[in-house]
Amino acid sequence: MNNITRSFLSNPRALVGLAIVLFFMLIALCAPILSDHGPNDRVARPHQPPNTEQIMGSTRMGRDVFTQLVHGTQTSLLVGFLAGFIVTAVGTLVGITAGYFGGKVDEFLNFLTNIVLVIPNLPLLMVLAAFIGEASPMVIAFIIGITSWGWGARVTRAQTLSLRQRDYIQASELIGESSWRIILVELMPNLLSIIGFNFIGSVIYTVITEATLEFLGLGDPSAVSWGVMLYHAQTSSAISVGAWWEILAPCAALALFGAGLSQLNFAIDEIANPRLRTLGRLKRYQKRLAGDPEDKPPVNAAAMAAATRNDTVLQKEGSK
Amino acid sequence: MGFLLRRVLFYLVAFLCAATFNFSIPRMMPGDPIAMMFSQAGTTLPLESLDALRATFGFIDAPLFTQYLHYLKSVFTGDLGLSIKFFPLSVNEVIGRALPWTLFLVGLSTLMAFAIGSWLGIRSAWRRGGRVDRIATPTSLVLQSVPPVVVALIFLYGLSVALDLFPSGYAYSPDLDPSFSWAFIASVAEHAVLPVISLTLVQVGGYLITMRNNMINLLGEDFITMGRAKGLSDARLRYNYAARNALLPSITSFAMTLGIVLGGSLITEIVFNYPGLGYVLFQGILARDYPLIQGQLMIMTAAMLSANFIADVLYVYLDPRLRKA
Repeated sequence: MNNITRSFLSNPRALVGLAIVLFFMLIALCAPILSDHGPNDRVARPHQPPNTEQIMGSTRMGRDVFTQLVHGTQTSLLVGFLAGFIVTAVGTLVGITAGYFGGKVDEFLNFLTNIVLVIPNLPLLMVLAAFIGEASPMVIAFIIGITSWGWGARVTRAQTLSLRQRDYIQASELIGESSWRIILVELMPNLLSIIGFNFIGSVIYTVITEATLEFLGLGDPSAVSWGVMLYHAQTSSAISVGAWWEILAPCAALALFGAGLSQLNFAIDEIANPRLRTLGRLKRYQKRLAGDPEDKPPVNAAAMAAATRNDTVLQKEGSK
Repeated sequence: MGFLLRRVLFYLVAFLCAATFNFSIPRMMPGDPIAMMFSQAGTTLPLESLDALRATFGFIDAPLFTQYLHYLKSVFTGDLGLSIKFFPLSVNEVIGRALPWTLFLVGLSTLMAFAIGSWLGIRSAWRRGGRVDRIATPTSLVLQSVPPVVVALIFLYGLSVALDLFPSGYAYSPDLDPSFSWAFIASVAEHAVLPVISLTLVQVGGYLITMRNNMINLLGEDFITMGRAKGLSDARLRYNYAARNALLPSITSFAMTLGIVLGGSLITEIVFNYPGLGYVLFQGILARDYPLIQGQLMIMTAAMLSANFIADVLYVYLDPRLRKA
């Protein structure tokens, strides 16, 4: 564990990503301190460009963009992490159960996973959100959580299947350890990089999808989040009247937060699979001098995801 | 062909699941599903059309299971009901008019993203840490995690509102009638530039990363070393040996990400006022046009399943191991 932490902290991508994510968390925590009025208070004249009073300008309703942004950060981060947690929990549970127990259980869960994967997610969410009507951010987090776990389940299952064949798992079974002990103590630690990759990927996906649904007008227009900010900007034609600040603030937040998370994810991938590292010129030179033979890598999560579909197809074919 | 037949069967079941979802959601919501679904319809639809619309969705005086069969019959005979927002048009007609524009955007941008992304992925894997790798890989990672709505809004504001280089809405100039004239085609192309570029940018990163990671793993394989020992040229090793094998997962990711791309296209169309499915749907959502919202799920699922089927066929063609079975 110590080893993982050390390689994580010595990875520049991980540090950049971590810094960005912590920065947003800090903003979310300090939202009430950073601004002294409520996000939906009318504090200025409509569509004021950035000035000393409203450093990010005001919306058409005369609301302060900066206040909306910091309070929106709270909502968007909460939704992202909550739904990311649900997606990862369900995906990991389904994936491990299917991969470990095999047989009929696997057949059923794998079938379910494939169905979830093949029905397009956003159209499905649009139907759900439309019928719920003015879905609040937490409801959106929940419906994203329960519909988007397919990818994680597939990747986790594939990795569990390959771990299951290893000697140490077979040995644990022979000495009669219970299934749950094997899963929690023997399997889980070896799945950590995939679970982490899945979690961060899900947070990115949720934040984007929440913003999308709210931008489409399926969210609660009185809530304060990055997506609702974009929705109001779109419906008040902020772009055509030249109120770029109303658009730019949530866009920049979404882009920066996503970029930070994706750097973290790339770092996880690099740590789990040393071959993917992009080396600086000096390091490459040193490596060549040292005559370092590149070792055979463990499978990385992204390539795994892509390759597993083919595997499952082939396995089915083989069993026929 | 056993393999393809089983895939088709699976897709049928998946389609049935989507239809079942559509059937049960209004019935699971609290309150009266009929009143909820057609609350906006009373003002625009004449009574007999409203009755027909109810019947399409299985709201008939019968037990639940009969209602279900009735709804399935509508769906599988291609009857998705009437649009409430665009009455007297049916959902089929509304989607039929909008879909070609969406397919045009999605198709063109996917092809471009696939070509550019895969090529850059091959280059950056070949010289890892080289110039292409150090610039293209982190850039595409960042682009991949930026929501399509952000990319589209920035392009719209920067290039068409502030600089006025490109038109800011519609698929072609409203002064022109659709025809095969040079002026019309030029107008379509001019209006498509920004939506296509922003959709391409969103996708390019995914193909680059998939290709790069697969190439890197493949370049360590024995057959590459063997090829090099035989004295094959770099280009031959790169394209005929490594890239050809590394392409397989990219084809999978094409089918898998199609759902996300379609979603991205919906958003891009709304931002650019482009008359595709997304734009129509946005109008439908604002008017609470439930038949239209449900209809798009069926159409999108059908599109997704077809793309998966195409990927399956390609796989059989590209991967000889599947052909034997």
